[in-house]
Amino acid sequence: MKKIFISVSLLLLMLFLASCGKKGRAENEFLFATWAAGTELREFNDVIRRVNEKADGEYTVSVQSIPADYYIKLSSMISANNAPDFFWLTQELISKYADLGAALDITSWFEDSDVLVPDDFFPGVLNSATYQGKYWGLPWIANPIMIYLNEDLFNLAGVELPSATADWTWEEFIDICREFKGMKTADGKDIYGCIVDGWPNIETFIWSGGGDILADDGTVLIDSEESLRGLANLHTIITEGLTPKYSEVGSLGSNNVWFEKGRVAMFMGGVQDNFEYKQTFVSEEERFPIKYAPMPKAPDGGQWAFDWTASTIVSPKVKNKDLAYKALEALTLEFFTWKLAPPIIGGEEKIKEIAPLKEDAYETIVYTLQFARSANYLPEWSKINDKLWYDLYLLMLQNKPNFNYETETRKIANYTRNLLKE
Amino acid sequence: MDKKKRRAGFLFVLPWIIGILLFTLIPMIAALYIGFTDWTIIGNAKFIGLKNYQDIFKNEDFYQALWVTVRYAIFAIPLTIITSLVISIFLSKNRKGVGIYRVIYYMPAIVSGVAVAIVFKWILDPTNGLLNSILAIFKIKGPDWLYDANWVLPSYLIMAVWGAGGGILTYLAALKDVPQDLYESASIDGANNLQKIWHITIPMLTPIIFYNLVIGIISAFRKFTDAYVLGGIGKEGNFYMIYLYDRAFSQYEMGYATALAWILFAIILALTLIVNITKKYWVFKAE
Repeated sequence: MKKIFISVSLLLLMLFLASCGKKGRAENEFLFATWAAGTELREFNDVIRRVNEKADGEYTVSVQSIPADYYIKLSSMISANNAPDFFWLTQELISKYADLGAALDITSWFEDSDVLVPDDFFPGVLNSATYQGKYWGLPWIANPIMIYLNEDLFNLAGVELPSATADWTWEEFIDICREFKGMKTADGKDIYGCIVDGWPNIETFIWSGGGDILADDGTVLIDSEESLRGLANLHTIITEGLTPKYSEVGSLGSNNVWFEKGRVAMFMGGVQDNFEYKQTFVSEEERFPIKYAPMPKAPDGGQWAFDWTASTIVSPKVKNKDLAYKALEALTLEFFTWKLAPPIIGGEEKIKEIAPLKEDAYETIVYTLQFARSANYLPEWSKINDKLWYDLYLLMLQNKPNFNYETETRKIANYTRNLLKE
Repeated sequence: MDKKKRRAGFLFVLPWIIGILLFTLIPMIAALYIGFTDWTIIGNAKFIGLKNYQDIFKNEDFYQALWVTVRYAIFAIPLTIITSLVISIFLSKNRKGVGIYRVIYYMPAIVSGVAVAIVFKWILDPTNGLLNSILAIFKIKGPDWLYDANWVLPSYLIMAVWGAGGGILTYLAALKDVPQDLYESASIDGANNLQKIWHITIPMLTPIIFYNLVIGIISAFRKFTDAYVLGGIGKEGNFYMIYLYDRAFSQYEMGYATALAWILFAIILALTLIVNITKKYWVFKAE
């Protein structure tokens, strides 16, 4: 009995220790955590295989796919002192992870590199990986917004299409939207100029007036005259019914379907959106020619395009930082051949190879990349963003007559000032 | 009991003891401590005393989330109890095909919460949804449901009532235990069906109603899955657990979220104790 007792106790202890233990990696073995799954994961594995082949044994990168609850799993791994050596973060989280000491400051390697230096990147994209004047990751993708146009609807309305590099204003954009008001499809359904349902994000509209949420030095600009002017554009689009009602959008599944079904003439979508691919599946009658235009110009001259981007981050716990940075560069260069659009100046030529179906959009994508930008994300961003969504954007979308967006914007600005003061 | 038998007994319960220590007791003690820290999951935890609790009680979002949950609980618990009780009484009769109805009504209890939420997303769609399409047949313009602040709570109540069949299993079991001679005596005294239900069935079922009330309170305050999938315009779908989840995994404020969990525990405990105190006034106890 004594032997059984001791054996069972030891077994349980071993199980416990095994579950708590961390598998050690050699200095030249790196683990890359990714949210990629399915087809994207297969492509990602190909990228990693190419990187490993080129490294020729100097280092090896292995992959850990976290297809669901990526950030929960990632933060748990970091918390358990078992952080992956490389991982992806979207733009709004980089400052948070940097602030919490979970990202390696790569500034010195980046600035002294012979391979990739800050000037190689589009400044608006690189800004997303910058916090407190330092670099915390290398952006590997840029997906700024451009405008997809349904040529058939433009012809039907007798409206001239904006050109692929149109230097047009938000007033002109709204005027074009007005041209579609009252138009109906063959089966009697309403056609709209554009669609706004929380997408594009509030930043897009704030920038449309030349405003911003936070300045680089952290000054709160949400309630500046320019920001309010930008929000007025959003207000006009909603109150004049130039977009489907917020409660109606979900009836077709999601906002992009409205464009695909010919119910919306202009769709503000990321350059990566695959409308062209989807068109190959629909019948001849449903198909329509897609044209492209950049975002309209704000009063400050910028045709600002919100850029969804992500960066590869190096864990500060990595053992051989020099080698890790070398691997990071190799990974990043390989990513540039994979996804639309490479965030580097001069990398535009790759677009045609990466996405041949986007050939017609090439001119607009290249033009748009110059204006790609993110907000100035501070670690407190998620709280500010929550306020902007729940207390402003969502209420504007409901289009209630007694809601004053200017008053609410000022309240959010004051809330943000107090938050940042704390 | 000799020493050898005691040891053998201990050995048999050892896996359970280790399980409860590792996965319940130690995490609970850790959570109690984390509630007094500013732990962000990623960084180190710093002891900050009662600050999380002070911040919570000063935060209007906390009261808003609590109010959404309390309002839901006030309506959903009685509604589901009444619905499942009524269904159970109908299903307790041995009629032809009753087995099929029992399966149909119990079905929601075994369907995944996420699947239910996705189906209801379509049912409640303001433009093409099933409910509004049915209302349109009668020339009634349906509401915007989850897109209208005034209709978010009713939307969730509809879902709660739809899932009320989950409780029928316990009611059906209890109904079988009601002594038939009570009904026979009542019939001799000239009682009609409604009187029998009111004066016999319901009093005899009060222990099960009590059980379902306690379980209902716990599940109403822990509502998460469908609210996570469906949301609701503004903060009307922001139930307490959604608020807690957001603070933990979107804001990375695990200390704050853990304090919220302890407050929720205290609320549920207090409500359960109150219900327990009232038990002697309304729950039937056979002498």
